[in-house]
Amino acid sequence: MSSEVRFTDFKSDKQPTWCPGCGDFGTMNGMMKALAETGNDPDNTFIVAGIGCSGKIGTYMHSYALHGVHGRALPVGTGVKMARPDIEVMVAGGDGDGYSIGAGHFVHAVRRNVDMTYVVMDNRIYGLTKGQASPTSRSDFETSTTPEGTKQPPVNPHALALAAGATFIAQSFSSDALRHQEIIQQAIEHDGFGFVNVYSPCVTFNDVDTYDYFRDTLVDLEDEGHDPSDYEAAKEIILDADKEYQGVIYQDENSVPYGEQHGLTEDMSDIPEGAPEDAMDLVREFY
Amino acid sequence: MAEDLNWAIGGEAGDGIDSTGKIFAQALSRAGRHVFTSKDFASRIRGGYTAYKIRTSVDEVRSVVDRLDILVALTQRTIDENLDELHEGSAIIYDGERSWEAEIPEEMTAVDVPLKSLAEEAGGAIMRNVVALGAACAITGFDVEYLDESLEKRFGGKGSKIVENNKEAARLGRDYVHENYDLDHLGYDLETTDEDYVLLNGNEAIGMGAIAAGCRYYAGYPITPATSIMEYLTGRIERYGGHVVQAEDELSAINMALGAARAGARSMTATSGAGIDLMTETFGLIAQSETPLVITDVMRSGPSTGMPTKQEQGDLNMALYGGHGEVPRFVVAPTTISECFWKTIEAFNLAEKYQTPVFLVSDLAMSVTERTFSPETFDMDAVEIDRGKLVDDDSVGEWLDDKGRFRAHAATEDGVSPRSIPGTTDGAHMSTGLEHDELGRRTEDTEVRVQQVDKRTRKVETAKEREAWEYREFGDPDADALIVSWGSNEGALVEALDYLEAEDVSVRVLSVPYIFPRPDLTEEFEQADDVIVVECNATGQFADVLEHDTLTRVKRINKYTGVRFKADELAEDIKAKLKEEVPA
Ligand SMILES: Cc1ncc(C[n+]2csc(CCOP(=O)(O)OP(=O)(O)O)c2C)c(N)n1
Ligand code: SF4
Repeated sequence: MSSEVRFTDFKSDKQPTWCPGCGDFGTMNGMMKALAETGNDPDNTFIVAGIGCSGKIGTYMHSYALHGVHGRALPVGTGVKMARPDIEVMVAGGDGDGYSIGAGHFVHAVRRNVDMTYVVMDNRIYGLTKGQASPTSRSDFETSTTPEGTKQPPVNPHALALAAGATFIAQSFSSDALRHQEIIQQAIEHDGFGFVNVYSPCVTFNDVDTYDYFRDTLVDLEDEGHDPSDYEAAKEIILDADKEYQGVIYQDENSVPYGEQHGLTEDMSDIPEGAPEDAMDLVREFY
Repeated sequence: MAEDLNWAIGGEAGDGIDSTGKIFAQALSRAGRHVFTSKDFASRIRGGYTAYKIRTSVDEVRSVVDRLDILVALTQRTIDENLDELHEGSAIIYDGERSWEAEIPEEMTAVDVPLKSLAEEAGGAIMRNVVALGAACAITGFDVEYLDESLEKRFGGKGSKIVENNKEAARLGRDYVHENYDLDHLGYDLETTDEDYVLLNGNEAIGMGAIAAGCRYYAGYPITPATSIMEYLTGRIERYGGHVVQAEDELSAINMALGAARAGARSMTATSGAGIDLMTETFGLIAQSETPLVITDVMRSGPSTGMPTKQEQGDLNMALYGGHGEVPRFVVAPTTISECFWKTIEAFNLAEKYQTPVFLVSDLAMSVTERTFSPETFDMDAVEIDRGKLVDDDSVGEWLDDKGRFRAHAATEDGVSPRSIPGTTDGAHMSTGLEHDELGRRTEDTEVRVQQVDKRTRKVETAKEREAWEYREFGDPDADALIVSWGSNEGALVEALDYLEAEDVSVRVLSVPYIFPRPDLTEEFEQADDVIVVECNATGQFADVLEHDTLTRVKRINKYTGVRFKADELAEDIKAKLKEEVPA
């Protein structure tokens, strides 16, 4: 790759099969631009995707990528980054993928603080399986499996992240292209686990959480003068269930990522041709 | 008296049984004696009967037998549990000063040693087990000085005072027995040799093999009896630039390992029982994305939580068939502790050469059993690493299509495609569990589907041709009776040959470390009048696949009590089986 990386270099020649108007187009464009803008190139980037409409993203982007099984994208990304500190790792998936089947991994990925970026395309519905409730669906939202609503409060992913000790928590809106790209960029540049929940509307199955709805209600935390290093203020924003917002909500400026804490600096793909030179010492331990 | 000495210490979990046993085992090994250890333990941390048994001889020992010559009993239960293994000449060391009154069968030699008081005299009651070791030395004529080195190894980190006190405790135990008992009638005089042996168990051998093979990444979730692999690697793998991570569960562990493997690191996970179930979904992903990964299953008694601290070989079907769809894979099952080392290395090579999951199937008995070997058994100079068709910046060009895209799943003749890892210029590509074309792009095109399924199947065929899927053979090659075994039964089986020979029963034994692909035994089966398949499970999972391969009915010896086979017992079982009719 030449040093002049353009965001289109991150595009694959596969045409997305997303429904026209799907929020995931905007989410993906922002990710590609942010990657290019932060000086990465496809040969040094690894994208891990989950299962769902959102999970198809790895197919439409060009880089090293893995499209795994439902809910397990974060562990895969964790393995890639630990083994290869030299590689830029980005994990992407849906709200079902991340907060339902993968919820356990989410909490632990947050607290592990591996230096990677996690983008959740939150459409508050299951898209690929055609319109069932997701963990972020509103309690009165009617779907094929919940005709009278879920009658449960939606999960609050930011609260989960904050409680788990997150060092970077943000939210963006896929159709606010510039802000979305900027926020992803900040997540990439963050030293540690950069978590961005992206409002990425499903135009086919969700007629409540629409582009119009977000446009009308969205508050930009930057305009509000919010200081992301202010933990208490972040807490207040996160616990305010009635507010839709975008921006960096919380960033710990003293974040020390996992790799640094554990001294992971080496490229683990590099191994000798035979056993290590002092390997007989391993045997002698058993005298 | 036989040179073959069987010694045990037993008490409650938390009594330091394990470390005491290990100190004695190491001392014997340092004295140039062969050692084979086994453990009885329950699934609880404190309380509950636990024992550490040692069989030692100047000759090689490969299994346990039903005999105990010297027993250090810290509780009555220790005596009761082992009554059927004790015999007239057995000596039982116990502490008569303690609150329990030992009920020792009359015909045995009761050796009452004030373990606690002597330990206190040496510096602390905690050393009472070491006093017992000293007493055992007195009975067997084993020089107490051999204990010193193991005591240093065990307690060196705690300072020289502690080491000195322990040495003193052992001497007080020895002297007490010399002064108060005349045990000449027991007639021991343990021989020593100049041999330098190493003493290790199956899980340690797997961990050591992994490091020798260049494993750099291990992700796991604790579960008996696999955890000690993780514990071995922790603190050692770092010396070689690697890392161990304790994942939040097995789903995560196998996916982390997969991520590291995809990124180019030699990577492994290990688990048992329920953990293997949880990992199953990812088996298919590993195979479909053609990622090299070693997955170790240290089997224990199932199903469900079954008997977590007990032996079984019940997961063979899981390893062979686990996962939805048809998953190309290799299944390798070491048959001895030294094979745990060599087969682990082979597993890493197979995984990278053929870009598939490799299941390394071991079992509880192998994982907790320690055995002596000459250090050359683990000759590191003989370790070979084969990374398969890994491309670099220079060779990647051969594999680009006319638009410059990397053909990560190129349908080559041998079925093996090139592999590029992140950082390789122009090697970027998508890996996926979805069916895909040569470039890794999703497809449902019927022709491409068939091409890719055939390609993946073909690499297993290639491996079948290129690799040596051997078995090992023991006994009389011309015997009419053929015994087949897999996993850790080999040791007991080979020793059973001695018992059988003494009664003029001759058999031929095949020990098979490869489950899939596996050697074709059709001819061997045809030559034999009787075929008996020996395994620690109730249904005969290996017997089933061999019957299927050879279209021959076999007899089966199945043990599923939770306890491994013993040599003498197995000899009896074989004799009985030989008399039975072949099943219709
Ligand atoms: C283990 C497993 N269970 C269920 C599924 C079926 N499945 C595919 S995608 C999906 C939900 C996806 O929802 P979300 O993550 O919100 O993504 P979206 O399609 O909305 O982008 C489910 C349940 C699966 N692939 N694997
Ligand atoms: S179903 Fe919804 S989420 Fe899926 S592609 Fe269509 S619009 Fe996007």
